[in-house]
Amino acid sequence: MKLLTVVTIIFISSSALIAADDPNTPEKITDVNIIVSKANIMAYYQGDDGKARVKMTITDRRGQTRNREFIILRKDVEDGGDQNYYVYFLKPADVREMVFIVHKHADINRDDDRWLYLPGLDLVKRIAAGDKRTSFVGSDFLYEDVSGRNLEEDTHEFIETTEQYYVIKNIPKKPETVEFGYFTVAIDRCNFVPMKMEFYDRNSKLYRVIESQKVETIQGFPTVVKSLVSDLNTGSKTEMEFSGVQYNIGLGDVFTERYLRRPPDEARK
Amino acid sequence: MDFKRATADYSVKHYKLVAAVMMVFTLATASLIPLIKVDTDPENMLSPDESVRLFHNQAKAEFSLYDIVVVGIVNNKNPDGVFNPQSLSRIYELTEFARTLTWSSEKEENRQIGVVGVDILAPSTVDHIGQGGPGEIKFEWLMTRPPDTRDEAIEIRNKAMSNPLLKGTLVSEDGRAVCLYLPLTDKDLSYRIYTLLRDKIATFGGDEQYYITGLPVAEDTFGVEMFIQMAISAPLAMLVVFLLMLFFFRKLLLVVSPMIIAIVSVISTMGLLIGFGFPVHIMSSMIPIFLMPISVVDSVHILSEFFELYTREKGRDGTIKEVMGHLFTPMLYTSLTTAAGFASLALTPIPPVQVFGVFVAVGVMIAWVFTVTFVPAYVMLISEKSLENFGQAAVHVEKQSRLAKILRTTGQFTYTGAKPILAVAALITAVAVYGITRIQVNDNPVKWFSKRHPIRQADIELNKHFGGTYMAYLVLEQSPESKTNITDESEDAESLFTKPEMLEYVSKLQDYLKQSGLVGKSNSVADVVKKVHQELIDGKPENYIIPRTAPAVAQCLMQFQSSHNPDDLWHLVTYDYDKANIWLQLTSGDNQDMEKVVRTVDTFFTQNKPLVPLTYNWAGLTYINTVWQDKMVFGMLQSFLGSFLIVFIMMAVLFRSALWGLICMVPLTLTIVLIYGVIGLAGKDYDMPVAVLSALTLGMAVDFAIHFLERARVSCDRTGSWQTSAGEMFAEPARAITRNVLVIAIGFLPLLAAPLVPYKTVGVFMCVIMALSGIVTLIVLPAIIKLTEKTLFKPKQTVVSPGCNCGFCLIISAATVVLVALNLHQYWHLGLTRLTWLSIITIPVMVLVCGVMSRRQVCKNISKEGKRGVK
Repeated sequence: MKLLTVVTIIFISSSALIAADDPNTPEKITDVNIIVSKANIMAYYQGDDGKARVKMTITDRRGQTRNREFIILRKDVEDGGDQNYYVYFLKPADVREMVFIVHKHADINRDDDRWLYLPGLDLVKRIAAGDKRTSFVGSDFLYEDVSGRNLEEDTHEFIETTEQYYVIKNIPKKPETVEFGYFTVAIDRCNFVPMKMEFYDRNSKLYRVIESQKVETIQGFPTVVKSLVSDLNTGSKTEMEFSGVQYNIGLGDVFTERYLRRPPDEARK
Repeated sequence: MDFKRATADYSVKHYKLVAAVMMVFTLATASLIPLIKVDTDPENMLSPDESVRLFHNQAKAEFSLYDIVVVGIVNNKNPDGVFNPQSLSRIYELTEFARTLTWSSEKEENRQIGVVGVDILAPSTVDHIGQGGPGEIKFEWLMTRPPDTRDEAIEIRNKAMSNPLLKGTLVSEDGRAVCLYLPLTDKDLSYRIYTLLRDKIATFGGDEQYYITGLPVAEDTFGVEMFIQMAISAPLAMLVVFLLMLFFFRKLLLVVSPMIIAIVSVISTMGLLIGFGFPVHIMSSMIPIFLMPISVVDSVHILSEFFELYTREKGRDGTIKEVMGHLFTPMLYTSLTTAAGFASLALTPIPPVQVFGVFVAVGVMIAWVFTVTFVPAYVMLISEKSLENFGQAAVHVEKQSRLAKILRTTGQFTYTGAKPILAVAALITAVAVYGITRIQVNDNPVKWFSKRHPIRQADIELNKHFGGTYMAYLVLEQSPESKTNITDESEDAESLFTKPEMLEYVSKLQDYLKQSGLVGKSNSVADVVKKVHQELIDGKPENYIIPRTAPAVAQCLMQFQSSHNPDDLWHLVTYDYDKANIWLQLTSGDNQDMEKVVRTVDTFFTQNKPLVPLTYNWAGLTYINTVWQDKMVFGMLQSFLGSFLIVFIMMAVLFRSALWGLICMVPLTLTIVLIYGVIGLAGKDYDMPVAVLSALTLGMAVDFAIHFLERARVSCDRTGSWQTSAGEMFAEPARAITRNVLVIAIGFLPLLAAPLVPYKTVGVFMCVIMALSGIVTLIVLPAIIKLTEKTLFKPKQTVVSPGCNCGFCLIISAATVVLVALNLHQYWHLGLTRLTWLSIITIPVMVLVCGVMSRRQVCKNISKEGKRGVK
């Protein structure tokens, strides 16, 4: 179940599914692996590509806030397989024009490729991607929340199936590589949108929650347009709001080093 | 004075009632003791709205700073120090254990207290920023799990050593030891955490040594151990005092009475203090130590005299009435002056000192009441039969004379050698005054533990290897007055601490501090920027620099936030980059060293102009300590001067003579001058315990002086000559004083074995105060009396109202003016110069008033009326 994450959640497409507002309870699926891979496809691989403007608000324990704003572009190489991301920063002003490019690889044995462009130093740099559980630009979202956690990293088991959700427990196969003990995800039975993820530490204490707070249907795709992560240890929260969401915009191959210094029109808006 | 006879008579007659009343009173107040609230936080020496404390708390909130427990791990057996798989796995385990030390608060809902897990600094909680593959920057945990091989362990060390943010902080400068920094939500949990960590460590085998220290641990542990020590030391001192009294008076039953008085005074005073809702603070926990000797002293005077005068024929009631007749007045005077002296501490603007002063005064008066009522009653409770063979009269002649002989010789010497004695005293005083000018005011709570204590050892050991276990924080921000201008001029204003010039400035300040040798290590946002910049470029040392533009700085910082611990940045700078915090690690927590750092920073700021005007403020316990300790030490000093004046005024009024008052002050003055002089000459730090204990002189030296002088006066009235009276004085009264000196001086010596330094100080002080004030009273006072005999014992003056003596009135007025000035100075922070002017105006006014008063018609009438005995 990877999923989650938010940023990609936006790209959920729904074609085959009936819209989320269908009042009829859908048929119950009993194979947990089907559910997680469905949710994964839904969450990360809808349409051929997509674009959104993201506003991040980080609020600390004392109520002080920091903002980030960026354009995110995504294009799939293959459904359920490799895909590319392009993140172009608008705010804060002094990091404007900073760019991340990510080539995500579905092969669990292959690290993602990541590049960074820092306009202030006019520097292009590769980032070693050993660990995906680092903060995404200082927010409470982790890199892996944004790009998706590989399904094969965890074993999945049902906790329960409620009227609305499949609730699934995910246990890491290599616990030493992550800071959590396990996490649960509640997947909407109608549209397979992951609505809530809860992370537990090694002592099974809940410490981190990601919620999809607002889902809208855009171009026929149920899309999470507002999500919130709360770190219960630090009391910090990060809200992500998506605007200008568009799917199937026909992105060219802008995910290469040469576009770091010269952002494509789609990224500049 | 019929009151004194009435009291003695009543107590002798209704002895059972007196004993019962005392019992009831003691039990009633003792029943309040279970309500005890303990507050061992020395920060509370400052009132909560003190500006330093407000800023300290603000800085802690703004930068998410916490008080820190430091755990050092050293391995001297392994050639790689702790960087071997076994040691690192224990360090890992200990870190994981520390993470679990949190609890939900009982006081506030939804609040976790304990170790702040996310801010722990340990090998397994920090990031390594370095080079990945060629041209790659890499963020990774320094140690995700304990290494399996020596090579892996060494690699962890090399990575940590390559990060200037970690070197000297997390890993020792020599790369052999590791320090964990455990931030606490509340520092009063330190002892609890300290104990749990020690328990955990006890389960580890291995060659490592573990050291736990840090100011919060020291302060909190001191608070706990102080109470334990009180429970051991006080009874032990009482036992020795008891044995000594038994040695002198040989009558077990009789000797019990001073013990009862001491216990009753201590219990009821503490009961009242607690009952009135005051927390027992470090200061007030000292009250028993003060009250015990003071209350024992009065009853020893009585016992001593009773011992001397008792004969079968007079019987116990006859003897005790005679004794009380001699002693009632001096005991009343000593108790009143001592109580007034301590009560005047209530005028100091330091909350714990006020409570302390008031309740010692209360205790002294309680002790007095019980001494004059219960001791006679107690004597009556003993059957006449059991007093057989009691008393000086019954003791073998040879034995009795040893002490008596020495004292008699001394007495003669003071008469014949008065001038040399005073010359020597003057000389010694001069040397002592020189010593006082060399006194070093310095304190450090960690040094309240003896060198063998684990906390002190940890302090010594860790500060050898690391940047320092004492934390101070220097917060920089733009001066408010300059802020508006800047925003007006450029609307595109960048945040202050992304400007390369500002970071260079911060860096320069850090280098300056490092070079001064006072600061072991400092971390700032400038260090973060340099490290990230270095690794972004190519990892080479020459790129450990601040980039040239603000956006470049901001982008480096954004990269730092893409690590596992992005929030670490916010300990060093605020979100808007308008305020920066420099985290200083000091290897010494001495006030003097911290003050030097403060001065060094002041110098730097005056010599180096920043880009925009900056204000800087200090936070952190090491700094807070310098503030309260200074305030405390100087506050105590001033209060002590105030008490000194009060005592003088009291004595002058009681004796109705400024000259007698002055002479009474001699033992007190000389004792304190000599003690301070020795402290100055010996180079011992003048610290909080010393400051507090000086006040004890009030209770002891005054007692001896009054006893001696009051009885000398009565005796001289009778005999008409000092030569004859001196002989009398060096009999029973001198023996009583000597016995007191010995009982208390020796009685408190067991405190020298305590593991807490302030207790040792108490032991030394008791001994020195008793010895000095005893010697001064028995040698210097008689010498002075001899030389001033004519003035002192001139025929009785006819003055009924003190106001009629112009000179007396003047001196008292002047003393009062100074006293008022002292207190005004403390309260309203008036400059001394302004007060000097006020005093200069006030004193002539007083002169006039005194002149007028002493020439009143009433006074003339009285002096015409002729001789009428005052007493």
